[in-house]
Amino acid sequence: MNLRARRAAIGSLTISLIGGIVAVAASAADWSDRVFGAGIAAALGGIGFALVAWSKSLDLPEVTQERERLTVTEAESAELRAEIDLTEDTVGRRGIVKWLLGGSVVTLVAGALSPILSLGPAPKGELSRTSWRRGRRLVTSDGKPVEVTRARYDQLVTVFPEGHTDSDDSQVVLIRVRPELVARETVEAGSVDGWIAYSKICTHLGCSVGLFGVDPRDPQRLRQLVCPCHQSVFDPLDGAKPIGGPAPRALPQLPLAVDADGYLVATRDFDEPVGPNTWNDQ
Amino acid sequence: MSRTPLVQRGVEYVAGRLGAGHGVTKAMRKVFPSHFSFLWGELALYSLIVLIVTGIFLTFLFDASQDVVRYTGSYAPMHGQHVSAAYNSVMRTSFDVRGGLLIRQTHHWAALVFVAAIIIHLGRVFFTGAFRRPRELNWLVGCTLLVLALGAGFTGYSLPDDLLSGTGLRIMNGILLSIPFVGEGLAFAVFGGEWPGDGIISRLYPVHVMLIPGLIIALLGLHLAMVWRQKHTQFDGPGRTESNVVGEPVWPGFAMKSIGLMFLTAGVIATMGALVTVNPIWVYGPYVPAAATSLSQPDWYIGFLEGSVRLFPHWEPRIGSYSIPNPFFSGVLIPGIIFAVLFAVPFIERRFSGDKEEHHLLDRPRDAARRTAWGVAGFSVILLLFVGGAQDVVAQTIHVSVGHVTAALQIMILVVPPVSWFVTMRLCRSLQRRPPPERTERASMITRDATGGYETVEADVPSQPVLSRSEGER
Repeated sequence: MNLRARRAAIGSLTISLIGGIVAVAASAADWSDRVFGAGIAAALGGIGFALVAWSKSLDLPEVTQERERLTVTEAESAELRAEIDLTEDTVGRRGIVKWLLGGSVVTLVAGALSPILSLGPAPKGELSRTSWRRGRRLVTSDGKPVEVTRARYDQLVTVFPEGHTDSDDSQVVLIRVRPELVARETVEAGSVDGWIAYSKICTHLGCSVGLFGVDPRDPQRLRQLVCPCHQSVFDPLDGAKPIGGPAPRALPQLPLAVDADGYLVATRDFDEPVGPNTWNDQ
Repeated sequence: MSRTPLVQRGVEYVAGRLGAGHGVTKAMRKVFPSHFSFLWGELALYSLIVLIVTGIFLTFLFDASQDVVRYTGSYAPMHGQHVSAAYNSVMRTSFDVRGGLLIRQTHHWAALVFVAAIIIHLGRVFFTGAFRRPRELNWLVGCTLLVLALGAGFTGYSLPDDLLSGTGLRIMNGILLSIPFVGEGLAFAVFGGEWPGDGIISRLYPVHVMLIPGLIIALLGLHLAMVWRQKHTQFDGPGRTESNVVGEPVWPGFAMKSIGLMFLTAGVIATMGALVTVNPIWVYGPYVPAAATSLSQPDWYIGFLEGSVRLFPHWEPRIGSYSIPNPFFSGVLIPGIIFAVLFAVPFIERRFSGDKEEHHLLDRPRDAARRTAWGVAGFSVILLLFVGGAQDVVAQTIHVSVGHVTAALQIMILVVPPVSWFVTMRLCRSLQRRPPPERTERASMITRDATGGYETVEADVPSQPVLSRSEGER
């Protein structure tokens, strides 16, 4: 009998008892969850420690046991072989029944599994369409359109097509920079007076590309769009081409124009799918 | 003559109806070898029990719906905000249900401990060669349990519909899309349409609370049944051979220690749940598709996958008219290879060692230098991927640009595994040359007599050094 271990068991069971009382009291008196949790934890841990200490105090001896044989003996193997031979002699000849049985099991499984297809609609090109249309205004998530003359440079705003602010695949980052910084191809692709709009959905795995800032290498002339999930970096001044991280393609650009009231509008939908790629692309 | 004890009468009532009279005694006498490294599997089992108990409580409070509701609970900063019913119910559990936050945090901590215990247990089984014949089947069951545990974790932390987990689901959607040819249809079937689909939370819920736990419990039963049938492995030592097992009988010692471990595990996890905040969804906010946060990491066990998609280069090659999506490599192929190799471990080793014998004595890792070296090299890949999953945090901590950290990790993933293979090999070889440990437990006993003198009493177990067994390698 190990006295120290026995004393440890008695001590920790006492702590466990107190912990249980604290938990009940905390529950009844509506004390904080922390006190209640600490009480429960002490009650549990106390019992656990006591059981281990108690078993140590017993100084039980080690015991040796023989292992049983696991391998198949030749006699067992021969028995099994005889059974299989018997099966072939009796059942084996009925070829047509066997084939029909196999066939009906296969068709049954196929039929029974087919409702899986109705879990979701078959894709009908949704991935290559968004809710952007010619003349649709760019609005913020609370529905406000964007005036072409408003806003300072180097700010990012998330916009949606007017009337479709819940259209997740239409989310767009709209930024405004000093017009002379924008690359010529990007202007030709639909940038207006320093306003540039890109799909906000990362071409890597679809997170929202939400970080916009100056590029530390040349804060006067370089800008960055960064996806916070996997740290892909895009160049917003040059067609949002990927310049760092795992994103393989540029963010599709939304061509912009200004309507009669001076608000920004799209001139058409994106000309390529937004977001992550699939194998079905041509 | 004394009456038969009540416990015995109870046991015999059942045993007498099943013909299990001898079986009960035999089970109580069954011997389990003891070593600290055998505890990890038990730790996984007991954190699973904590998960089930706390999880049942949470199912009573959770609302698996993405209908938009107005938050009116007691967390003031979020008052009046439009959130999903799922998010709202988890907020209510956290702030307005007595013991709710405790149970929720205990459940989350238990999940983190569960996967950690499984992986350490897997490491123990690997590095001691416990997966060899006759235990290959149990290795496969164990690896399947790991996959299921990861699935349980991912589906579970996606349920609160907060910004962090919503982003995780968006990434999972992107990975599904990258699966060859069926990807688009599969993503539409799983999510019920184009992202964000038609109520993914209500689909994850039955998977998380019924399908995966059911499979885990069934396979765990099989896992334990096979351990019971095959008897546990043991380390070499005095009196221990391939054909016996030396240790403690189930009753009373092993059972007391193991049940004690169960309570200790629950106590430690409950302490963490009571005192340490985990997954504070009120900080993340509800999921809004047009938002994402920086410095966002998934639960630790998804870290290797996060690292894989962060570190893989931005390639998207074309084959004919198909372009292969970048995440196919980093999100499908790499994890696929990792798990294929993991499942195949017993068969790969048998192929290269030619060893088809039964093994019940465990290797010390140094004695199986080649296996240990391959294991360390493989583990270094996983570890680097894990670090890569938090490369933005690393960059911020050491004040280096994210791009440089990424590049450094990309190079390390090519260099570190071969180097660690070589270093481990050398280390094992030099450890093998060290003299074996002296086995003195129970070999001699010192007693003090009444006059104060000391005397050494020789015990019946001979004290013999254990020789390092060679592996049959060059």
